[in-house]
Amino acid sequence: MKAYGIRMKRIEVSENKRTWLSQTNLLPACRLFLGGIFIYASLDKIFKPGLFAEVVYNYQILPDVLVNLMALVLPWLELVLGLMLVAGFWLPGAVLLSTLLLLIFSGSLIFNMVRGININCGCFSTEPSTDPITWWTVMRDASFLIPAFYLLLANRTEKTAGE
Amino acid sequence: MESFRLIHKWRRALWQIPAIIMVAGALALSSNNLRKESLPLVGDWSAAASLTTVSGEYLDISIDEAARLFREQAAVFMDARSAADYEKGHIQGALSLPWQDVDRLFFSATAGVPPDMPIITYCDGETCNLSHDLAIFLRDMGFENVKVLVNGWTIWKNTNLPVD
Repeated sequence: MKAYGIRMKRIEVSENKRTWLSQTNLLPACRLFLGGIFIYASLDKIFKPGLFAEVVYNYQILPDVLVNLMALVLPWLELVLGLMLVAGFWLPGAVLLSTLLLLIFSGSLIFNMVRGININCGCFSTEPSTDPITWWTVMRDASFLIPAFYLLLANRTEKTAGE
Repeated sequence: MESFRLIHKWRRALWQIPAIIMVAGALALSSNNLRKESLPLVGDWSAAASLTTVSGEYLDISIDEAARLFREQAAVFMDARSAADYEKGHIQGALSLPWQDVDRLFFSATAGVPPDMPIITYCDGETCNLSHDLAIFLRDMGFENVKVLVNGWTIWKNTNLPVD
């Protein structure tokens, strides 16, 4: 009888491990991580739109007329996406859009690295000369795509309320 | 069944993404309207404007605002002109930090200025860039709130504000 009890316990543990890896914790952990990154990245830009407009301008990707609009809307988009990821609200849209944004960010960094434009990343801070772009910056931003892709793929099979 | 659910989710993303962008846009525009120094929706990023300063409009301060800060003694004025011009006359209480000697004089000139203290740089003439260059330099050196009073010395005198 005693041996049977131990056996039962072992099964429970392994079952917990399985659920931990598959769904219950890893998905929210990725959401919280990615959401936290987006929220943190948005704050400095929201408070300093003028400086962030300079950052956007220096990337030399958008036409001049769109620079200020992008500098105003992008930080708020990051904040809204971050909050949605953390709260688990409108997840299909939030996950897909944040993945697209991360792809655009990484693409813009790579584009300017390749054509050799020496600019400030402006990824987490609008202060000039705090974060010049390097291949390390590219790696850092691209690494955020790992949890993003995981959410995108894992989200397919996640059971959602009402379905 | 699995594929049905997948298609269903992507379909929701199709309306959620425009909706998220619209929510962010509405928040951005309304907060920009409430801001004291709201950013124009279309900025002047032309070569001429960016020559004046990388962020000319953002750095500029109006004479009224500068005078208010002066009366409240809430800002430090920095004269970017040469020491000789400073000696001839300057805004009352202004510190002298000539742009051409900034490397040598920076530490002595800013020794008593806390980094969060608003600084207003000025020089003379509509096209004078010394104050802009100094302002950008001061900002790079860690002063958080640096403004430029364009054509400062002339405007200050014409407004009959106190001079030394």
